[in-house]
Amino acid sequence: MHNSNDKRTCGDALGEPSLIAVTGLAKDYRVYDKPEGLLASVTGLFHRTSRLVEALKGVSLTVGRGEFVALLGPNGAGKTTFLKLLSGIITPTRGTAKVLGHVPWERADDFRRRFALVMGQRNQLWWDLPAAESFRLHKEIYRIDTPRFERTRDELVDLLGVRPLLLQPVRELSLGERMKLELVAALLHEPEVLFLDEPTIGLDVVAQHTLHTFLSHVQAERQMTVVLTTHYMKDVAALCERVVVITHGDILYDGSLGDIVDRFTTHKIVTLDLDDTPSHERMAGFGFPYEIRGPQVILRIDRARIADVLPDILRSQSVRDVSVEDVPLEEIVAELFRSGESPATARFAEALP
Amino acid sequence: MKRYASIFATFARACLVRDMTFRVNFLLECVTSIGWMSMNLAFYLLIFTFTPEIGLHTGWTREPFFAFVATGLIINSIVQALFMPSAEELTEMVRSGGLDGVLVQPLDAQFLLSMHRVDFSAFANGLIGIGLLAWAIARMDATPTPLAWLLYPLLIVCGVAILYSLVIMLAAATILMGRNQSLYDFWFYLTNFSRYPAEIYAGPWGSPLRTLCTFVIPILLVVNVPARVIAMPLEGQAVGMVLAPMIAAAASLALSRTVFLAAISRYRSASS
Amino acid sequence: MTNPATGARPGSVALRSKVPTEAAVDTRPPHRSCSGRFAVGHGLRTWWTMLAICLEERLVYRGDFALGTLMRFLPIVTQLFLWTAVFNATNRTDIAGYSRNDMVAYYLLTMVTRAFSSMPGLAGGISRSVRDGSVKKYLVQPVDYVSYLLAARIAHKLVYYVVAILPFAVVFFVFRSYFPPLPAAATVLAFTASLALSFLLGFFMEATLGMLGFWFLEVSSIVFAYMLVQYLLSGHMFPLDMLNGIASGIPGISVGNLVGWLPFEYTAYFPAAIWLGKIRGNDLVRKLAIEAAWTIAMAILCRIVWHRGTRRYSAFGG
Repeated sequence: MHNSNDKRTCGDALGEPSLIAVTGLAKDYRVYDKPEGLLASVTGLFHRTSRLVEALKGVSLTVGRGEFVALLGPNGAGKTTFLKLLSGIITPTRGTAKVLGHVPWERADDFRRRFALVMGQRNQLWWDLPAAESFRLHKEIYRIDTPRFERTRDELVDLLGVRPLLLQPVRELSLGERMKLELVAALLHEPEVLFLDEPTIGLDVVAQHTLHTFLSHVQAERQMTVVLTTHYMKDVAALCERVVVITHGDILYDGSLGDIVDRFTTHKIVTLDLDDTPSHERMAGFGFPYEIRGPQVILRIDRARIADVLPDILRSQSVRDVSVEDVPLEEIVAELFRSGESPATARFAEALP
Repeated sequence: MKRYASIFATFARACLVRDMTFRVNFLLECVTSIGWMSMNLAFYLLIFTFTPEIGLHTGWTREPFFAFVATGLIINSIVQALFMPSAEELTEMVRSGGLDGVLVQPLDAQFLLSMHRVDFSAFANGLIGIGLLAWAIARMDATPTPLAWLLYPLLIVCGVAILYSLVIMLAAATILMGRNQSLYDFWFYLTNFSRYPAEIYAGPWGSPLRTLCTFVIPILLVVNVPARVIAMPLEGQAVGMVLAPMIAAAASLALSRTVFLAAISRYRSASS
Repeated sequence: MTNPATGARPGSVALRSKVPTEAAVDTRPPHRSCSGRFAVGHGLRTWWTMLAICLEERLVYRGDFALGTLMRFLPIVTQLFLWTAVFNATNRTDIAGYSRNDMVAYYLLTMVTRAFSSMPGLAGGISRSVRDGSVKKYLVQPVDYVSYLLAARIAHKLVYYVVAILPFAVVFFVFRSYFPPLPAAATVLAFTASLALSFLLGFFMEATLGMLGFWFLEVSSIVFAYMLVQYLLSGHMFPLDMLNGIASGIPGISVGNLVGWLPFEYTAYFPAAIWLGKIRGNDLVRKLAIEAAWTIAMAILCRIVWHRGTRRYSAFGG
């Protein structure tokens, strides 16, 4: 997690109207159950049961110009649905949204010319064409004039180092190479808003890193507003200041990554390396959850009480080494994904004896 | 619209390049279409050894009938080459989420989805059709008037437009329902009705069917009218007959466009 | 399944197989899971499970099943109108011995025959399993691949009949006035025998074709050529008696006579002609014998090709 001076904070502070304004956006799906077994298959001919799936339960959000926002959530959380609503691919069940002043699902050409969508593992480039042809097509479709097109294309192609790949049919390339070309295509028309749906999925570590560097650079340079969905922590850590956690169709948290630790945990992790393996009575005596691993003990001590408790522990045991750390981000987020409860209830539950 | 034309040209060029790369496959496809069609021509020749005409006093003697078949070949090869390949891919596009990418682009979705792929091997049948037409007209007693020659290509375009509208409605149904195999079967069976001149649909069962397929789902206007115009002398009351496909074409295009847009607005998108 | 006039064919998104069976009954290839999901083993129980799963699979495609089965009869409707128009324009009472009603009955009966003899996906499935190497497990295990395929195909067909019997019955009932009175018991027996043989004949012919996959990478062109020839010469398009009047170039022998010696007519024409009483007495017995002979010959050929093929396959390591 690092803070870079390049990263912009919420546009509201600068007095600009929000680029993306979402209010109470919700999307429901009706899903038909598939019959299992012979008898069910026969009855399935006449009557099918269905249920309502609430993919998005009424979320509200604003994003300012130049922000880099991550939508973090487990699979099925609704983040892709959210992105599809913002890019106009689907229409919502309830709620409103405005992106760049347009209602996305009206799919005005003026709107579509000003943003780009890149979906991980799903190709938008024309499969049979070599990338160069795809780019030229893109130029026509987005009405980019030639000098500008060539300049942007060359710049992006060199940044990502994909020049040798341009003449091969896209279907012959690897996932990582295709992803890079997709990014070039997406940025050719210099969009003001970039939506990325799980762009690092399936990529190896090197490719992920290249992607991160590229996105950071390009976003800062062009002052693009970027909304990225992912379920990987490291995408978030590498790229954005602001993270929105979504689970079960609801926004659980919207703020900086650093603050998640403060908001969602009440304790710190204290690791003690002792001279010998301690007994359970001794450790239980402190009154905190603990775990004994050989001569090592891991305690979870309330943040507020660490200053008082730690000296006692250090005095009463023969301690070789001690470390005090925050609960790992991954753990917090994983727990958030699992629970799907509102942060208030979560903390309340923890505070109970 | 110049933009759309040049975008289409790019697609067509790419498909041609690809077909030429897989030359053997391309030739094989041409050969299979032609082989397939020749067998049916042989069958028709066989029928004509037993009867002079298809339907009593309908005018579909051997040469006019073959002119009919030729017209069918020309029209269907155009549809099969220009629109069907893209329509067939639609199921896969919906399933894989490729449709999402289409909806995001500032270009008409109907255009993209119905015209991004061209199957050049389907033109083989059309070329044979032209040859067959020439043969039939040469051997016919009555030669077509200049007016007939003028109307013929126009009516062919109308026929193509009607079939295109059907393709679009199929596409709309695919978008709404995801995958549905019997929809394409539906296309096959529907076009099957228009294989032969409309006059064969006579009698207590045939006449209603003929009316249905002329005025409700106007597939019988597609091949019949141009074929009649070129193969038989035009009578005075033929004005209605000639106008019908034009009206049907306009109406079908408008209807299919509406249906398509409605389907797109209800698009569910594959879940991720 | 290509519409000959338009080139349109149902379904088959990226396959472009253009299998030319105009009114083929069983056009959907057996879903791969039907035959591939089972550990290859013996026993009635395996076969029974096969059956149940095939049935369930068929029923899952709810919409397809309901509409599709009935729709397969639609091309017959077109043929019916065509032949009526043909008869109207001539003062013949019959064409090659078939009255107008006989024609309709003939086409409906060929649908029954085709339900027995058509083997959608068989050749393609075999050649594919050779190509992707999944045939290896049949070389290693003590199970006969051909017998296994036959058993699977029987299961698949039985399931199909169960599911299709109602639509068929409805159609035959609607068109019952076109049929001649029910034939004698002996004729019905001969009809049944010819159907059973046509199933085996069709199976062995296509299985042999599929096994050419041991020698050729792409058998689809060969299969297509076979389909083309079969479509023309099996009586699927028209009763083969119509060819009896066409000279073949060899004095005294018509094209119809020549075609009669080939195996193709037994996959569509023969049983239909038996039922309609177009083939009787000694002719009937003789042709049944020919059908049986072809069936046995094809079964043997299939076996030979399998042995040669697997030997070659093992030699080259697949």
